[in-house]
Amino acid sequence: KEFVALSTRDRIRAIRDLAMSFEEKKHIRWVLTDKQLKLISFLVRVILRCGYSIRSARQTLELWQGIMKEIGGKFGTSVLSYFLFLKWLLMFNIFSFLINFGFITIPLLVYDPSPNIPPNVSFRGLEILTGAGYFNYTVMYYGGYSNETLIGLVDYNMQLAYFFTIAVYMVLCGIALIFSMASSFKENYVLADTVSNSAWQLLCSWDFSITNERAVRQRKNNLRVQLKVNKTCVTNPLLSVKTKSGEREAETLLVPFVVSLMNLVVPLFYSLFNKFEHYSSLGRQIYALVVRNVLLKMSILAVLCYYWMNVVAEKFSCWESMVGQALYRLVIVDFLFLMLGSFFGEFLSNVIGTRLLPRLGVPEFDVARNVLELIYAQTLAWIGIYFSPLLPAIQILKFFILFYLKKVSLTQNCQPPRRTGRAAQMQTIFIALLFFPFFVGALSIVAYTAWRLTPSEQCGPFRGLNNTFSVVGVWIDDLQEIPASQWVVWIYQNVIRSEIFYFLITLIIIVIIYIFWQVTQGRKQLIGQLRQQIVNVSVLHP
Amino acid sequence: MGNKQTTFTDEQLEAYQDCTFFTRKEVLRLHGRYRELAPHLVPLDFTNNPDIKVPLTLIVTMPELKENPFRDRIVETFSEDGHGNLSFNDFVDMFSALCETSPRELKTIYAFKIYDFNRDNFICKEDLRKTLNKLTKGELTPEEVTLVCDKAVEEADLDGDSKLSFSDFENMISKAPDFLSNFHIRI
Repeated sequence: KEFVALSTRDRIRAIRDLAMSFEEKKHIRWVLTDKQLKLISFLVRVILRCGYSIRSARQTLELWQGIMKEIGGKFGTSVLSYFLFLKWLLMFNIFSFLINFGFITIPLLVYDPSPNIPPNVSFRGLEILTGAGYFNYTVMYYGGYSNETLIGLVDYNMQLAYFFTIAVYMVLCGIALIFSMASSFKENYVLADTVSNSAWQLLCSWDFSITNERAVRQRKNNLRVQLKVNKTCVTNPLLSVKTKSGEREAETLLVPFVVSLMNLVVPLFYSLFNKFEHYSSLGRQIYALVVRNVLLKMSILAVLCYYWMNVVAEKFSCWESMVGQALYRLVIVDFLFLMLGSFFGEFLSNVIGTRLLPRLGVPEFDVARNVLELIYAQTLAWIGIYFSPLLPAIQILKFFILFYLKKVSLTQNCQPPRRTGRAAQMQTIFIALLFFPFFVGALSIVAYTAWRLTPSEQCGPFRGLNNTFSVVGVWIDDLQEIPASQWVVWIYQNVIRSEIFYFLITLIIIVIIYIFWQVTQGRKQLIGQLRQQIVNVSVLHP
Repeated sequence: MGNKQTTFTDEQLEAYQDCTFFTRKEVLRLHGRYRELAPHLVPLDFTNNPDIKVPLTLIVTMPELKENPFRDRIVETFSEDGHGNLSFNDFVDMFSALCETSPRELKTIYAFKIYDFNRDNFICKEDLRKTLNKLTKGELTPEEVTLVCDKAVEEADLDGDSKLSFSDFENMISKAPDFLSNFHIRI
């Protein structure tokens, strides 16, 4: 039948997608593979076998499979999405650490294993918290890297390595985010029809993966309540955006402390207000919470970055390391406050809800607030990569511990969510938020630093240059000597540096978008017409 | 690799890998789970394809299915005899269709079969009523049940025969993105 037209590999894949019993599928498979030349069948089998062993290997490396299943079974898919998001962000950091360590740190360590620390500085325990002192002179920060070309087995240009490693990582991150945002959007916003919350909810919203009896009972009650009652909508937007005004450079830990305190306390207030406000749907409630939290975090980061770019960059000699240290402190203190937040948000709420004010009940796991905290933490890491290449290592540790912490807190203190939210659409929104404004913001900060700010004179790989981007210019000038790489020079001068190229590309992209948009509009019209046709046909032939 | 297992031949495992979404290790693990449902009934050695079926009453004691209100219908849909007695092949097939990597189309087909209680290839109001009762534990009054079922059919029915064919069902499911993430069972 149709199978004959496909290649053997596609056939095997198509067999899996058949809605038939196993025996029937086996029979089809036997029929298909038997009627071929033995040689081709053998080769394809080898390829398939490789594919299967890769799949098996990837499965053994899968982190936390058992725990994910347990959480999904007891609390459902929406809570599980937080942990999946955490795991996904962890992968970003592992990748970042591997390439930074491999391409930037290892060559320097091989060339010059002992860091040049001034004689009166020794390791006190406080460095783990403040990031300054002993750490300042190691490869932890920008300042610890040299700007020379390391002579060894190969001539290794540290400047180019530093610049390109970070640039390539950011670009790959951006591509990964865009792809997953697009695929998530495609799956979850297919026909943007607002499905009414009445009848079809019952068929689509049941979470088949729940195995916990209490969760099942709660879901049933919830469904019953939602089908019975129509809530009236009274929105009460309490939009208060806190901004930081004025910094004091008194104690270096004071700034991260205050920042994290605000990040902890203000969202808890938002959650509290949320409980007392009435919303027409769960979606609107989460939307309001998310918007408020995003504005809070963006404004905090904006003020901090303004301070770093304008004040710190002028005042200090090795300012990139200072900024790196500030980010390190922010990451560490943020981690401590996340643990505190778990304590307040879940443990104390549980105690209050069960002993002191039984009316409140056992708390639910606030997925939106926790995901936003993760996004904020990851943004700090993204900003910090340029100033402190080994910051992802700290981030990996932080996320690792956070996973187990949240899991324990969840199982001890929280109950399964009472309202079946739109988990899939929330997932899309979170990925979109991660990309824009947070990733784009971090990328802009790093790009601004590399483009506009003068690198410090005394330390780091870009000392002596006017700005970081001129590294590429210098390299191209060097390449012009070598006749074999003239094509690189040509590409640089006529493609990257020419404005006409970008203008043309933009024009072409706009035209393509317009064409796709028109095709979509046409298809929507077609769907409407076909629907009408079905109704007409059924009226004529009852 | 040196996996000295004697439960299946290599050809059998290849067939499982080709026809389901599971890897070798998962198939062997599934065999372990299948066996622990009825250790006296299920042999350790499957190399000569024994014809063993585990009855419905034992299958629904699995923790993954125990709390699911549709457990009987799920098992019946995947059984060959229609009464819920699963051979190992049906068992693997069931969890493969319901796993996370299973595509949307396959899940839609099986969801339709599961919700179609009287197996007439249509979801009629009676089927919806049974679904609703299973989901809400019978705590709605009969009038409310009828009202919701009527509204559901009215929304989804495109060709006006007051029951849902597969295309009506597929159309409504495509507008519910949560369906794909909710309709799976982790084993």
